[in-house]
Parts: sequence; C-alpha cells; structure tokens
Amino acid sequence: MAGYVREVSRRVFAQEFRESNLTFKDGDDQYSPQYLLTPTGAKVNRLFIVGTLIEKEDIGTDSEYWRGRVSDPTGSFMIYAGQYQPEAAQALAECETPAFVAIVGKPSTYTTAEGTVLTSVRPESISIVDVTTRDLWVADTARRTLERVKDLDNMDSNVVKAKEHYNTDKDHYSSMVKEALRSLKEDL
Amino acid sequence: MDKTAENIKSKFLELGVDIPIEDIVDRLDKLVTKFKVPLDEARRSVITYFLKENDLDRNAFFGGQSTTPDSRSTPDVKLNGIDEGGKWVNIKAKVLQLWDSSHESVSQVGIIGDETATIKFIKWARDMIPDVEEGKSYYFKNVVSNEWNGRFEVTLNKNTVVEELDEDIEVISSPIGGAGDGQPAPMVNVADIAEDGKWLSIKVKVSQLWDNSHESISQVGLVGDSTGTIKFIKWTSADLLDLTEGNSYLFNNVVAQEWNDKFELTLNKNSSIEELDEDIEIASSSIIFAGAMVDVQSGSGLIKRCPECKRALTKGACMEHGKVDGTYDLRIKAVLDDGNTAQESILKRDLAEQVSGITLDDAISMAADALDQGVVLDQMKLKLLGKYFIVTGSKVDRYILVDSIELQDGLDMEMLDELITEAEVL
Ligand SMILES: [Zn+2]
Repeated sequence: MAGYVREVSRRVFAQEFRESNLTFKDGDDQYSPQYLLTPTGAKVNRLFIVGTLIEKEDIGTDSEYWRGRVSDPTGSFMIYAGQYQPEAAQALAECETPAFVAIVGKPSTYTTAEGTVLTSVRPESISIVDVTTRDLWVADTARRTLERVKDLDNMDSNVVKAKEHYNTDKDHYSSMVKEALRSLKEDL
Repeated sequence: MDKTAENIKSKFLELGVDIPIEDIVDRLDKLVTKFKVPLDEARRSVITYFLKENDLDRNAFFGGQSTTPDSRSTPDVKLNGIDEGGKWVNIKAKVLQLWDSSHESVSQVGIIGDETATIKFIKWARDMIPDVEEGKSYYFKNVVSNEWNGRFEVTLNKNTVVEELDEDIEVISSPIGGAGDGQPAPMVNVADIAEDGKWLSIKVKVSQLWDNSHESISQVGLVGDSTGTIKFIKWTSADLLDLTEGNSYLFNNVVAQEWNDKFELTLNKNSSIEELDEDIEIASSSIIFAGAMVDVQSGSGLIKRCPECKRALTKGACMEHGKVDGTYDLRIKAVLDDGNTAQESILKRDLAEQVSGITLDDAISMAADALDQGVVLDQMKLKLLGKYFIVTGSKVDRYILVDSIELQDGLDMEMLDELITEAEVL
C-alpha cells in the first residue's frame, strides 16, 4: 500500500511569508499538491503559526467570510476563512481581539492587477493558546529558519530554485531571526 | 510608544478627527506589552481600529519587490578545483557509477570523475534532463557545487546542459572503493556509518519490513544492531534471498547512502546476504519526539471496541465480528509536527485522560448529554491543538505508540541563547 504522507507544517515568520511569491505544483495532474517556495527555500504546503490575532472582520457579502490579521515579532499574516473552512470561520467569529492563536493552514496567493503577489493563509484549524505557546513558536520558527539559512549553501533543488528566484540575502533573514529571538529575551 | 501615539493622533487630526491620546496609548500598550505585537504592527492595527470607528476610508498598501536571477558566466573547472559550495561551474567528466535511487524526486545519482578527482552528482527528476550512462563522458554545463558535511558534490539543475563527448575522459586512478575488486568491504556497526557512497559489510537483525509499492524494490524496512537502526532497501534487480522479520543476517558489500541527513543501506547486485545463527541484539527503539499538535484525527475521542478482538468499531461494526455490542474506550490519534516531520502518535486511554483532562466517565456523560460522541473529539481539539508536547514511545510503522506525554511549559533559556549565538555568527 502506497502510504499517504501528510504534509509537514512548515515554520515561517510573517516577514518571510510576506516576501514569498513563488508557487509551483509537484506533479502534473489536478490533485498534485501546490507549494509556496519561500526565499530561504521552505517548501510550504501547510504551515503552523502562533501569534496575536489583532484584527478580525467579516468581509463576506452573502455568507460569512472572515479576515483576520495575526502578528508575530516580524510582521503579520493575513487569514481568510469562509464556508469551506467552517470550523476556522466559527473560531474567528467567536474569538476576541487581541488574543494569542495557533493556526494550522494552507498558504494561498493572490496576484493583484499590478502583478504584486499577496500571500495569505487558509486555516484548517484555529485555537486559542497562551503566551508560553506563542514564545515556544517564536523559538521554534527561529530555529527552523536558521537551519534553512544555513542550508542556503548546501543546495538541493528547492534551495537552488529559491536562490535563483529571490536572489536571497542571507543577512536579511539571519537578522530577522536575531531580532525575533532578542524580542523573546526583552519580554522577560 | 508615546511618540507613535502622538504621531497617530496628529495624522487623525489632519483627517479632521480628534482622538484622545489616552485611548491611543491604551490600545497600543495592550498590544505591545501584553500581546507582544511589534510596535509598527500595533501602530497599523490601532490606526485601522480608529479609521473604522470613525468610518474613514482605509488605504491598504503593500510593498512588493521583484528579484531577477543574476547573470553569470560559468567557468570550466577540473573536479579537484571544486573547493567551495554554491558555485556555478562547467565540468567535463565520465560517469563512473550510477546508484539506485529510491527517491522519486531524484532521477539519477552517482559518481563522476576526471583526471583530478571523483565527485558525487545528483540529477533531479523535475529538471527533465536526459539520463546519463555509466562509462560515458559528458560536458556538464552550469552545474552547481554543493558542500555537504565537508565533502563536495555537484547538482544538475534546470539551467544545466549535458552534452555527450566523443573523447573518453581519463579518470584518476585511485579507486572509489568498490565491490568487484574481490575484497569484501569492511565490517562496521550501524553507528559507524557516516560516509555517503561507502561500501561496507554489516551484521544486523531485521526489525521491520515495510509495505512497498515499487516493483523495482523487493524489500524495504529497518535493520539494526546494538548501536542503532538504519533503513535498508533491497533492489529487485539484486536478486537476493528474502529477509524475515526478527532474523539476523550478514550483509556483504552494501552501499551507505545519505539522504536528508540520514543514512540508508542499499543492497544491489554486488551485495550478498548470509543468514546468521546468532541473534543480533538491537538497540532499544524507544524514541523521543517534540512538536506541536497540529491535528487530532478522526477516530480519536470516545470510541467503541469489539468485546472479542478489541478492534475499534466503525459504525457499530467490527471488521471481523460484524455488529457487536461494543465497549467504550478513549484514545487520541494525534499528529505532532516539529516543522520537519509530521509524526502520527497514538495515545491510549490513560494518557488520553491525562493530557485532555477528560476521563472516560466524563466522556460517556458528555456524549450522552449531547446525543453525539463527536463532542468529545471537539473538546479534545479545543484543549490540545496548537500546543507543544514531548512524547516518548516506540515507533511502530509510521506511528509512535506513546508511553509518556508532557506539555512543554516554558522556554529553555540556554537553547534560546544558543540560537541567538548561532544567528549572530551567520
Ligand atoms: Zn471483533
């Protein structure tokens, strides 16, 4: 039996997520998974984020369609949940702002008329968490991002692709990580 | 922060709205101090809030940057000239060995050589480059050098052009360590395996055989000795005897291959297998896994089991015994995810109760009140999703059968300092 392999939830800071704009499919048929490739070479089909929900708004016309903004130490993620994400939409409708939330979701991109690619997250689940979980996530995401920055020399095909497309500046992302980690110490 | 508040206030004054400075400071302070939002995000959020309060139009603006790959002129180099990762080079070399690759993303992997050195190469499936053949010489244009644990390899990519050469590239005479020279490869332990492409011999016990759907693979699974366990792949083309779980064997002339930082053993047509009478002892397979709980799968929560065979019932029926009067049980099938691996984990009743705070009796009465077993799963999700846990247990197939689970309840300050140091030296 060929096992179904669940996609790993990648760890990416909001700033890097926002600076991503390269999507591709692994395979040719319509069921092939879609990926977002980030500047440090994370191949993202699913991601796990923890941050502060600072805004939410129902922007739907016929049915509820929730938009949320979740902040981390480097920026913010946009979250969209409608009728196809009923549990997440309900969670967004019910929760207060600000609040610490954990989100598992899929990356999504939208290209504006000017050609700018905007990234957002379609949540599979949203749950309320505490500040400790939020701090653990920042450290966790810092560690994974550092691993990717280090691997920018050890080129596998994703890294090659990411570097070609973004001309990735190592320092840009290592200082982003540094700032995020330092913010954890300042808070104590 | 006060400066930011002043700034927001004056901007709104320009729009003809006077907002009390205390209101601005309060909102900013709550976001920044209590909810750890960076100041510029907090500022944005506060502005959005007051724009909305005052029915003012908002202009969302987004920055975008474009990047273009840099143009490059690629130098021709000899293989011993590759001494740095991340360089674009052209090389003329002969294909010395092609290894079997079990990874669909890799179309070809092996060793190429010229008169100065030999080096590993990788060709990715998605780049659609025509296959190379063992024994032939090629001009590889626009390949990328790559350093991996102090050794070099070259990667072919979508910019690579491969031209077959008429000339036969002369190859450095030092052997690449092969079978076929009559000498059996050296005996090692699992823990000693640290070099990609190394031929070796090893005594192991088969700990697991996995299902496999590839015709070209005859068996795949896990073998081990007293120093550790390692994945193995036995190719159909190798035509070797079939291994049985729990039996011990001597593998002669197998190849260690590195993949994503882990090693695997491949048994090919140069390998041989002897069954052993002795019983090789395998290192304990208990493992630790730390990660965030990203899913609590269906089949978790309150379930019913067949009283005869203990299988979980589906719609009140047992696979084996049909419709039966099941007995209640509690379990959690969780996915823990550390950002590199999504690890399915099974928690039996006692651990499910401990971690969710819901006892079997609680669960039964919750389900009775709601007339729905599903409420137990919903409650468990609310309680567990998104939090970080550490589990220990034994790995069986793709699951960890969990022996212990603990919530990670604080930052490890030493680890934090190490990460900061790491980020600083990059
Ligand atoms: Zn049964």
